[in-house]
Amino acid sequence: MSETITQARREENNPATAAPGVQQMSMQQALNRALDEILAEDPKTVIFGEDCGRLGGVFRITDGLQAKHGEQRVFDTPLAESGILGMSVGLAMAGFHPIPEVQFDGFAYPAINQIVCQIARMNYRSRGTLPMPITLRVPSFGGIRAPEHHGESLEALFAHVPGLKVVSPSTPHDAYHLLKYAATRPDPVIFMEPKSRYWQKGPVDVTNALPGTAVHDADADNGGSLTGARVAREGRHITLVAWGAMVARCLQVADLAAEDGIDVEVLDLRWLKPIDAAALARSVGKTRRAVVVHEAPLTSGLGAEVAQLITQSCFSTLKAPVERVTGFDVPYPSGDLEDEYIPNIDRILFGIQRVLEYRRG
Amino acid sequence: MAEISFPLPDLGEGLIEATVLEWLVEPGQQVERNQPIVELETTKSALELPSPQAGKVVRIHGAPGDTINVGEPLIVFEVPDDTAGIVGTVPKDEAPKRRVRLSAVLDED
Repeated sequence: MSETITQARREENNPATAAPGVQQMSMQQALNRALDEILAEDPKTVIFGEDCGRLGGVFRITDGLQAKHGEQRVFDTPLAESGILGMSVGLAMAGFHPIPEVQFDGFAYPAINQIVCQIARMNYRSRGTLPMPITLRVPSFGGIRAPEHHGESLEALFAHVPGLKVVSPSTPHDAYHLLKYAATRPDPVIFMEPKSRYWQKGPVDVTNALPGTAVHDADADNGGSLTGARVAREGRHITLVAWGAMVARCLQVADLAAEDGIDVEVLDLRWLKPIDAAALARSVGKTRRAVVVHEAPLTSGLGAEVAQLITQSCFSTLKAPVERVTGFDVPYPSGDLEDEYIPNIDRILFGIQRVLEYRRG
Repeated sequence: MAEISFPLPDLGEGLIEATVLEWLVEPGQQVERNQPIVELETTKSALELPSPQAGKVVRIHGAPGDTINVGEPLIVFEVPDDTAGIVGTVPKDEAPKRRVRLSAVLDED
């Protein structure tokens, strides 16, 4: 397995040597292509949201889809998030597969009632007769210096709700395959797109979802292996656990740590509900040290859940308590203060240093 | 490139329409944010409307003397794909900078 991963990493770094069929595209383009193919393959799919139709989305994710697939299947809605998600419930009950968009994560709040009280519960409430095959696309997290409400980190909030699945891709390749996978699920999936990564290009192998990734099945019936975490970089001394936009930053940190002789493994969690506990156990079981990195506030953040899962499986071998490097317990700040809020390279390095320095009593 | 349509806003409190007096820009022209683009007259006043954004003018709606309803298209801009409709800015790719160095004695037990 490790050979394959190293190989994949080499190819990621050097697109010229990538396998045929692999194309360089931005996450934006990868998501657009995935949606195009989902619409073509599944006549029950409908895509809608503010500016999704004619404009093609503020981030161009739905660009050209209305022109190609028609106004019945890709359309604009009024500026009313509770309406967008409420309509998704009705469409799902009528047999459709809605892929609604909330334009920016902070505007999911007005639709929390529809998400939590209807979308997440309808299957349970109806004893399985009304599944909600809804994929809610949410441009998420910060990093683009946007005003208030245009950058939030809501994963813990969504992950806490029974009935919802939550996923966040960190590469164009995963964005393409995870979106296609999510769209075929009978359960509601919250698809959190790291908006600061929309423009980053990377190799996408459209023919093979799993080129050299270490993926661990959580569901036996999933028909693929996109349900688990991904080892983004192998290392021996410490595991950095991250998701979304923080994966790229942790990979930068790993490069810098290597200069200091510290071999960092980066685990891209990908699924935030359900979390791939086996992958955490495997990685930290090997490195015996871990730091969780996320943009959301510290208190009751997903880092606490990850730390507990690690503690449960690796308590006897851990060399230090699991550290967390996170945002602060304040509202997600607007653009000017973003650099102070989002975990930066130095804060992550300090987190690693705290773990390395720890000595028992 | 992407096209962005700017509809006629309510220029007063509860106004429903405005009449075009004179266009100050023409299709093909590059305009900057806040550059005056059109003179309009409402039932309350005549005014110059500043451009809501930078971009190339693709189309203008309404000749002098024409009345446009609030919410109807007034002007269409062409902007690069990566700035279309973005609230915020596209992050720049920068080499990682650090101030912290790691030091550790790694016992291999």
